[in-house]
Amino acid sequence: MPVRSASGGPKKRPKNAACRQGTARFDAYDLPRRTSDTGPVLNRFISLLAGTDLSQAIQNYEWIIPTIQSIHILAVSIVLSSVAMVVLRLMGKAGLRTSIADTVKRYVPWIWGAIVVLAITGTLLVIGEPKRELTNAAFQLKMVMVLVGVAIIAAFQISVGRHPEFWNKTPEHRAGLKLIAVGTLVLFIAIAVAGRWIAYMIVDYAAA
Amino acid sequence: MSIDAILEAIYNWPISAAIRTDYFWFPFLESVHVVCICLVVGSIFVVDLRLLGITSNKKPVTELAKEVLPWTWGTFVIAVIAGTLMFMSKTTNYYADDFFRYKMVLIVLAGVNMAVFHLFTYRSVEKWDRDVPTLLGAKLAGGFSLLCWIGVVFCGRWIGFTVI
Repeated sequence: MPVRSASGGPKKRPKNAACRQGTARFDAYDLPRRTSDTGPVLNRFISLLAGTDLSQAIQNYEWIIPTIQSIHILAVSIVLSSVAMVVLRLMGKAGLRTSIADTVKRYVPWIWGAIVVLAITGTLLVIGEPKRELTNAAFQLKMVMVLVGVAIIAAFQISVGRHPEFWNKTPEHRAGLKLIAVGTLVLFIAIAVAGRWIAYMIVDYAAA
Repeated sequence: MSIDAILEAIYNWPISAAIRTDYFWFPFLESVHVVCICLVVGSIFVVDLRLLGITSNKKPVTELAKEVLPWTWGTFVIAVIAGTLMFMSKTTNYYADDFFRYKMVLIVLAGVNMAVFHLFTYRSVEKWDRDVPTLLGAKLAGGFSLLCWIGVVFCGRWIGFTVI
């Protein structure tokens, strides 16, 4: 029976594993399974990544992954809160004294900055534990949702830049836009949840 | 009743056992907790950065606080409920964990910081509501708050690696 970590991730570093102690929390239960049969190309890519010096370094110091994850979560908090503030403004629930164009100017650059940090820290986490991430259904779903979320923000920012008067006048009165705004916030929450769920989707550690 | 006895009693409650053993509930609570923490911390950052005079500088401090902080408090309450339920599932393990303790201390420090800020600097807010650069007292409160909540996130993440 594979060991499942409480929330941190795979148990695969027995030496000095004070901050990586897995748990058998769910051992008695029938867990959803994923096989490690991921195809020759992906498997070769995973071995390639896992063999790099950087991957080895990330794996060999037990404090590195929690540190990267903490920075990742801080960047998530900037993205989620910024998206929430813009969405609340579009919904007419907060910041009504500020125009939508100004709200976008305040928050969207921070979203992009945080996304850069997320891409860097996320890439490091993938390099450190390529099999844990790349073969993980939650990770794969998360990446698809990230692409959609980034596209929505880019399209929204471009539209507000080109038609500020449209956005300033009309959104509060349009049910369709409100729906898209709420849907975008839900999407970004789902991205965060999928990220957390990566830790619960791993079964095959021995081969990692 | 000693604290250990209380913790053990809570540990044995059916709801605690359910969260501890069920496949769904712990990850679910953790997800709610993480999303709410992110909204709490991110929204506090919005106000902290204004107190530091870094962003939202066109807005008076009071106006920004009024539009942001209700959401902070709402999500904070949900984060506390989800966190308490997770704590109940493994009371003794969390209680004994260093990072759990650091995290609680940091939340209390953030609360004390907020109280001190409101008792002193914020009393005269109408005098400096639009000031940029901001008052030293506002900068200190904003900067200290920022550090506390960054610490909360780090400790929170570390708990996931240290509590078995």
